[in-house]
Amino acid sequence: MPPKPDQQDELLQGTLDMLILKAVSLGPLHGYGVLLRIQQISGEKLVIQQGSLYPALYRLEHQGAIASEWGESENNRRAKYYRLTPEGRKRLGEEAERWNRMAGIIGSIMKTRKA
Amino acid sequence: MTRGSFAARALAQLRSWLRSVMHRGRLESEMEAELANHLDSLTADLVRAGQLPDEAARRARIELGSATVLKEEMRASLGLRWWDELHADLRYGARVLMKSPGVTAVAAISLALAIGANTTIFSLTKQLLYTRLDVPHAENLRLLAWTGTENHVAVHHVWGDWNPLPGGRAASTAFSYPVYRQLRAGGQVLDSLFAFKRMGMIATIGDDGQRVRTELVSGNYFDSLGLRPQMGRAIESSDDTTPGQGAVAVISDQFWDRAYGRSPAVLGTQVKLNDISFTVVGIAPSGFTGVKDALLSVDFFIPLAMQPLVLPRRGSPSLFTDSRTWWVNIMGCARPGISDSQAQAELNGELSAIVRATMRVKPGEDLPQLDLRDGSRGLFVQKNEYARPMTVLMILSGLVLLLGCANIANLMLARGAKRQREMSVRLALGAGRRRIVRQLLVESVLLASLGGACGLVTSYLGRNVLPRMIAATWEHTDFQINFDWKVFLFTVAITVFSGILFGLAPAFSASRAQLNHGLKESAQTATRRRKGAGGKALVGFQIALSTLLVIGAGLFLRTLTGLSAVDVGFRTDHLLLAEVDPPNGRYLAGKDVALHQRLERAFSIVPGVVSVTLAEDPYIADDRSANDFLPQGEVYDPGKSQEENYNIVGNQFFTTLAIPILEGRGFGSQDTSSSPKVAVINQSLARQRFPGQDPIGKHFVTDPHDSDGGGGALPKNSIEIVGLCGDTRYMNLRDEPPPQFFLPYIQQASVGGMVYEIRTLPKPESVLPALRQIVRQIDPDLALVNVRTQQQQIDSTLQNERIFVMLTSGFGLLALALAAVGIYGIMAYSVAQRINEMGIRLALGATPRQLLAMVLREASWLSIAGIGAGAGVCLLLAQLVKSMLYGIAPNDPLTFFGTAMLLIAIALVASWIPACRAASVQPIDALRHE
Repeated sequence: MPPKPDQQDELLQGTLDMLILKAVSLGPLHGYGVLLRIQQISGEKLVIQQGSLYPALYRLEHQGAIASEWGESENNRRAKYYRLTPEGRKRLGEEAERWNRMAGIIGSIMKTRKA
Repeated sequence: MTRGSFAARALAQLRSWLRSVMHRGRLESEMEAELANHLDSLTADLVRAGQLPDEAARRARIELGSATVLKEEMRASLGLRWWDELHADLRYGARVLMKSPGVTAVAAISLALAIGANTTIFSLTKQLLYTRLDVPHAENLRLLAWTGTENHVAVHHVWGDWNPLPGGRAASTAFSYPVYRQLRAGGQVLDSLFAFKRMGMIATIGDDGQRVRTELVSGNYFDSLGLRPQMGRAIESSDDTTPGQGAVAVISDQFWDRAYGRSPAVLGTQVKLNDISFTVVGIAPSGFTGVKDALLSVDFFIPLAMQPLVLPRRGSPSLFTDSRTWWVNIMGCARPGISDSQAQAELNGELSAIVRATMRVKPGEDLPQLDLRDGSRGLFVQKNEYARPMTVLMILSGLVLLLGCANIANLMLARGAKRQREMSVRLALGAGRRRIVRQLLVESVLLASLGGACGLVTSYLGRNVLPRMIAATWEHTDFQINFDWKVFLFTVAITVFSGILFGLAPAFSASRAQLNHGLKESAQTATRRRKGAGGKALVGFQIALSTLLVIGAGLFLRTLTGLSAVDVGFRTDHLLLAEVDPPNGRYLAGKDVALHQRLERAFSIVPGVVSVTLAEDPYIADDRSANDFLPQGEVYDPGKSQEENYNIVGNQFFTTLAIPILEGRGFGSQDTSSSPKVAVINQSLARQRFPGQDPIGKHFVTDPHDSDGGGGALPKNSIEIVGLCGDTRYMNLRDEPPPQFFLPYIQQASVGGMVYEIRTLPKPESVLPALRQIVRQIDPDLALVNVRTQQQQIDSTLQNERIFVMLTSGFGLLALALAAVGIYGIMAYSVAQRINEMGIRLALGATPRQLLAMVLREASWLSIAGIGAGAGVCLLLAQLVKSMLYGIAPNDPLTFFGTAMLLIAIALVASWIPACRAASVQPIDALRHE
């Protein structure tokens, strides 16, 4: 279900790859499915440029982080399903850890009050 | 990121990229399907949310964005973008090249010739002048040589190389055996001195006699070189102890292959060398050619101790105690810590002491000075013959390479100017400058690769053609140029690199083009004039190069025609030359003369043979014999050169060679071994040694000072001059006929091997089977060797000249063609640029004839400048070829003038069409052209 524009945040730069990896780590998905899952997990709060999804998927597959194969979709059409590779799982772990570290640091900086 | 995951990612990327490139069609359809799926799903969701189907489909398309752009980005994600662009550039480049096939062909052919010529000539040079012996640590080998004054050195009998040096000195690498033995016993500045001597011999395997190259080697030879035989054993010190003992032979890998088909059964078999039986005990490692040189492999190695049997010297057969005859070559290995100059000084001291102790040094004679040389290339005798010609050839082929590059540059420049508009349009449409530069670069590289591919073929062919031109036509030779990949790749790299370099300038200037200038019809004059100047400089450069190459061709052509027209002084046609070399061991003094008399008689009655003679030295074959010539009343003076050339000949010599007897008589049947000794001299000798006198009836002696024995082949009693004959050339075509005297072989005590000279009525080769039959009947162990006609012999001495003429003419013609194309291009361009100007000139009253003259004048000035520059450089370079020329000076005015005229004529012809176009301009059209 397409979200309503006013309550939504734009994706932070450089996080799309990580989110895609996270989405497919929960089970193989086709391109549209990745989009839906990210929006669903975020509680419809994140908007992803539909056009930026496919170049990112191709880039990740090119780098060996995800793999694809053709399968049957829920409406009985052939669709390309992406799944996480061991290499991608490692990368997801690394990126998540970096993200958390970064978020912690930035969060603590932002919480600092005037003494 | 860790290194491991980085590598994994790189590998994954490569795999993915390869997959994408290989299965491009599937990739494209998958992308298509995936995006379509997405659109369908999105549309379906929107419809479910309550939108009308049409509206939903429209919104879905908007949200996803343009499929074309998306697919482009997806391809970029896969790293396919540069690949696609390169593909497009290549396709476009190929189309551009195909559009002007003539220009492309000229550029490719010139590159092909340049690459081919350079690869072949550099490979040949490398092989001739830089190949090292195939032994471990060749770089440590040192060759012993010595120098002395040419006429007064204490060494009188050199059986080996003898090279005159500038300044009246001469060098040799031959030593006496006692010198070798004592040097070996003496100081320790070089490791393991060993000795060797390369000789031609007749090998008899079964019933079959053939000429082979043999190296007589000291017992420590293989050991010192660090070589182990691939089968059997090497020659060892125990084989080389007692003279005449140790009849064992090691054969080279090449001979094993050629004569025995690599059969291991060869070990233990018998083979006769110069009529002496040897047992084959080993096979030398493959690749080892003997230490004399790295070019032609030796066939046999036998112990040095066998010399008295296989190469007996008349008088005293053994050379091991003979300190007068210098014949053996010595090598050693450098010792760590001792510099070459130290070693040389030390060895020189030892040599002087040994010479004083073993030889009689007369007052006024100097001692040989030791010269320690690099031995990694063996005796390296080919240096004298080839170093200079190869340098000249390399310079010439280098010039051709330059020319090829200049041609590409010119082409790219012209093309760049012509395509300025295209570039402006591309820029205006949003192409990046880098993209444009890359496009032009791809075109240059494409052109260069085309040239490179053709060059590969050319050099591969050249590899086969050039040795055939070098080798004597009648001799079997296993010499061939190894096609040198490194040289080829180097040449291609240079050419492509310079092609790119020259192509870059126009590419950058094109990418910098001012947009609005380029798009306007007429605002290009300012930039174009500058380009025109660059093009003119290039064409001038091409003309200068052509001048150089054409002058070179002219000089060598004049040399060849000069040499071919030389009157040698005797009849050269229908004359067969063949050698018979009776082994000294079986044909002792006197028996050899009898054998030759028998052969001479038998040959003369063969049908087709007009007359037969024999001679010690055939003419124009780089052979020479000389001895002292003392007319009655003159005494031997060690301070003066009293030597003259001589030849020992048969009685029919003058009639067979058609050398005129000017006074007195030639030899005849009245001259026998017991009759008074007689001689014939030639005009030059009469002029020089009997000025103003009649030489007939005068007496002389020859070889009178040789009181210490050796080499006394000529009789000591006086000889009467009975005839005076015309002059002939001797060693070669270049030297003026030298003074010469002739002695009948019948009156000699011993003559050894002689060359038969047979005048025939039919083709000389046709009598050959009959001659061979006769030799076999008289002695089955004898063979007719080195069979050729006198004309073939003369031609072979002109081979270098002929190669030079062929190569330089080829280069010159190519240069002329390129220069013509260049001039035409630049003048056509200049006229096209100045159509307006021509129109105005016509409108103001200039006649078409004046315009024609104006264009031609411009072309003439351009070529005169180029010719001047080329001729100037040529004068500087000409000194290099001075010694290779005959009958003309290196600044031969006729050649220079002829070349200049030829080039100006070509310039005028090439600019004629553009000039006519200029003259036929209609003023009104030209002005409207704007």
